[in-house]
Amino acid sequence: MKKNLLSVFAVMVMILGLVLTASAEEGVTDTEIHIGQWGPQTGPAAPWGAVARGTDAYFKMINAEGGIHGRKLVHHYFDDAYNPAKTLAGVKQLQEDIGMFAYVSGVGTAPGLAVKDYLMERKIPWLGPSAGSRHWIQPPNKYLFNSYPLYLGDAQLLCKYGHETMGFKKFAIAYQNDDYGKQGLEGAQKQLDKYGLKLVEQIPVNVADTDMKPHIMKFKKAEAEAVLLFVGPGHVARLIGTGKAMKFNPQWFSTTTCGDHPLMMAITKGLYAGTISAAFGMMDPGAIGIGNKEDTNNPSLPLLAKYKKEAFDKFAAKEERWGMTFTAGIGYVEPFVEALKRVGRDLTREKVVAEMEKIKNFKGIMGNVSYAPFDPNDPLCRIGQQEVFLVRAEADGTSTILTDWFTTDFIPMEK
Amino acid sequence: MDMKRDYYEDVQFFTSGAITFWLSTLVIGLTLFPFVAKNYYVYVANYMAINVIVVIGLNLLVGYTGQISMGHAGFFAIGAYGTVALMTHAHFPFLLALPVAGLIAAGFGFLLGLPALRLEGPYLAIATLGFGITITQIIGKIKILGERQGLHAPELTIGPWHLNTDRDFYFLLIPITIFLAVLARNLVHTKVGRAFIAIRDADIAAETMGVNLTFYKTLAFAVSAFYAGVGGGLYAFVLRFIEPELFSLFMSVMFLTMAVVGGLGSMMGPIAGASLLALLDLQLRNILGIPYIGEWLEALSRNYFSITGVSNIQMIVFGSILIAIMLFEPLGIYGIWIRTKKYWKMWPY
Amino acid sequence: MIEFLQMVLSGIAVGSSYALMGLGMVLIYKASEVPNFVQGEMALLPVFIAYMLLSSYGLPYYIAFPVTLIFAFFLGGILEFAVLRRAKEPNVLGLIIITIGMEMLLLGFVSWKFGADQRAMPFPISSYDSIIIGDIFISTLDMLTLVVALFIMLILFLFFRFSKIGVAMKATQQNENAAALMGIKTNQIRMITWGISAAVGSVAGLLIAPVLMEPYMMWDPMLKGFAGAVVGGMTSLPGAVFGAYIVGVVEHLFGGYVSIEFKSVVAFVVIVLVLCFKPSGLFARHYVKKV
Repeated sequence: MKKNLLSVFAVMVMILGLVLTASAEEGVTDTEIHIGQWGPQTGPAAPWGAVARGTDAYFKMINAEGGIHGRKLVHHYFDDAYNPAKTLAGVKQLQEDIGMFAYVSGVGTAPGLAVKDYLMERKIPWLGPSAGSRHWIQPPNKYLFNSYPLYLGDAQLLCKYGHETMGFKKFAIAYQNDDYGKQGLEGAQKQLDKYGLKLVEQIPVNVADTDMKPHIMKFKKAEAEAVLLFVGPGHVARLIGTGKAMKFNPQWFSTTTCGDHPLMMAITKGLYAGTISAAFGMMDPGAIGIGNKEDTNNPSLPLLAKYKKEAFDKFAAKEERWGMTFTAGIGYVEPFVEALKRVGRDLTREKVVAEMEKIKNFKGIMGNVSYAPFDPNDPLCRIGQQEVFLVRAEADGTSTILTDWFTTDFIPMEK
Repeated sequence: MDMKRDYYEDVQFFTSGAITFWLSTLVIGLTLFPFVAKNYYVYVANYMAINVIVVIGLNLLVGYTGQISMGHAGFFAIGAYGTVALMTHAHFPFLLALPVAGLIAAGFGFLLGLPALRLEGPYLAIATLGFGITITQIIGKIKILGERQGLHAPELTIGPWHLNTDRDFYFLLIPITIFLAVLARNLVHTKVGRAFIAIRDADIAAETMGVNLTFYKTLAFAVSAFYAGVGGGLYAFVLRFIEPELFSLFMSVMFLTMAVVGGLGSMMGPIAGASLLALLDLQLRNILGIPYIGEWLEALSRNYFSITGVSNIQMIVFGSILIAIMLFEPLGIYGIWIRTKKYWKMWPY
Repeated sequence: MIEFLQMVLSGIAVGSSYALMGLGMVLIYKASEVPNFVQGEMALLPVFIAYMLLSSYGLPYYIAFPVTLIFAFFLGGILEFAVLRRAKEPNVLGLIIITIGMEMLLLGFVSWKFGADQRAMPFPISSYDSIIIGDIFISTLDMLTLVVALFIMLILFLFFRFSKIGVAMKATQQNENAAALMGIKTNQIRMITWGISAAVGSVAGLLIAPVLMEPYMMWDPMLKGFAGAVVGGMTSLPGAVFGAYIVGVVEHLFGGYVSIEFKSVVAFVVIVLVLCFKPSGLFARHYVKKV
């Protein structure tokens, strides 16, 4: 008799379990929302690991404030060492062992492309990939929302400002030998075409290269006045340093990737001062005013100041640096958190997608983010942020605002 | 052990009832595995199998012929790009594209084998290493291979069979792996294999016995490259997207490490080495999730190291395992297996 | 012409740090007969220790740098004594894997302790100043590297020629059994060799770090040093230095006149070409196998 009761009880529990799981969306319980993320914490790309740690601190802040509609955000992030095989492994394990409601950010083009099909086939939303690649939106996917402004745009605005405002005619570019660098090259060429100019020199930089003397000699020989640096922070430091040693002092232009002025000043021992870089947020150029300075360690943007106090000071590890990589990890997921708030208590993936599509001119700590209802032929419905502005690094580690927000053009990939 | 009296005994598979039993258990286990295991573990098994294919080939070169290669990621890349390009541009079916790409890799292996004729030890190591990193640079310049932007793998179909899931891919991959493993095993027992071994043990002696060094050394490179190429072709369909940066020097070093740690000059060695290290490579990221140990490591990081760098413990563990295996047993995992077997056979003496 | 001279000079400048790494590798190859893949990380850890001494403890350079080199010496010795020597019935491939294992271990520890952020090491000489000879530039840091490299070569030369330990090392490398019979403690000698090699590598590391410090910074110099050593013959100290300069100069000429993109791999093509004609490198006597 006892045995019988037990089995009846077990069956009831099972039925109850089935009913419960059937009604709720995967990764969502009464009290929790499970969100996944990958990013390199080891290996040569490890400096970008701060993105995931930024997101983590941000989610902890939200939880400390009571979560979203009574649910806490449970953040599962793992190290993929920038190896796509490991990204796939991690995503599959998270999805099958725990079940994520959605994925956010995720550093890198190759790791992202490896998991894209897996996520899209299962209709799992993926929001704000942490790499400005056209692969995310061309073709657009219903469940994939880009937010990182494309590197193409950086190149457009840098060339525009360099030519129209500063009057440079001889532009050259050092570009990393990958998707990031090639986009910079393409964007610069397209923009310069408008002025009837050509790049006087275009030099690929391999990720493993450490010696920049030949590169600088080429720039010098071409008498470049303005050099665009579409490389990582380390190579920027090497290029500018080698340039200085070889008495080559053009106007250096750099991208959002190297917009972390305190870091850049530290690793160039002050040489970065005067370099103009693109920025995708962390300050509001309109509010600060063109020509005025901003200290990123003491942000003027109220929202960012709040994040520094509530997320960074309370939840980041003591070795963590308050830098752009960390804050970007917050910025990429803000639209998603906004959508979660708008959906309300009854949370499903479809509803999140519907709310994401309704986001227009959303402003967090980055630029304006807008999406549109899904249209397989329109990449712009999933592009998110398209605007950037320019800042100049100053000797004291602050940044001077040079332009207001500028909306860049999308140039589709050649097939 | 009984002496083998004729050639047939040397190549025959089912040498005893016990072997027959274990092999059939293995086959049944492998067949049932994807139905009982979670999809994730099927993926892990696929990843391991691809490494096994490459390392079996590498072992033919390193373990049986006594050469060294630190450039196998190059052949791997050629196979991956070759398969994808043949399918998208020349519209080859997968089952044709894969061996053709393998043969292209073998061609490059043959070419690399030519300078290798005169080189050995560190000289050969650096020459092959150079090949490995040069080939990805060259691929990055070729337009139809997507340059630096990378290449998407097409849909994988074989006749009416659409391979969408990891399980489908598993049933394609495991037979290929077994076929290639058996092929390698049989090759070692033929004239060619014996020539390889003779070259490894004493190349001058082999030459005086009539072994054509030029032919067999380049053949060893070509065969080994073929295996790496086939592995690469399959890998492209695991990731669905390939770019030159994937096939780094680190990957070549990893293949060599798998071969040596598994145990050179044996058939089970590369299978064990590749499986173990590939598994570790994928699974070590979970190290901080282990109860007690994970918490202890985090406390350690907080107090003496940095919590932002805590994931690097993976590398420390990986390195330590390599060192421990190689210090304990120069024949690697295979050596440890032999030793354990011997110990229990002789027990309690 | 000026352009050509500039390229050659830049090549020699960059070749100097390759040369120091190459010297370290050759020393170890002669002592333990293993291509030493931990050479770069044997320098990496001391460099980060130096960084810690300078920036966290505020020690002056004249204390921090010697302490670093002494640390490197002991690190090298310990790796040989505690790890490599423990290998049972070693074969070359097994030893290579052990050095790769040690490489991961040290790299893991450095990244664990210091994180992945890029840094720049404080240094007495600015890496942004340069000396101008006619129209040719050479940065002061490069000049210093060149001088230091030549100085270390001189010291090593004198050391092997005139010091008791140096002669004992040479004897051990030439014939270990005979040396042991002559009363030389070959194990100790091997340990000291590793120590010296690590210290030489660390000098290179200290001269590279002022430009940019990160956990992966020693990979490229290590590979190029290895390449240089192989061109020179792997068993010859002057050969390693000469080979490293060849690699540096060829890289720069190729980068300047042909293709920057392939600059970083051209060294290996050169190696294959050199080795086709001289299979044991330029400077080593070709070892003819006796039957």
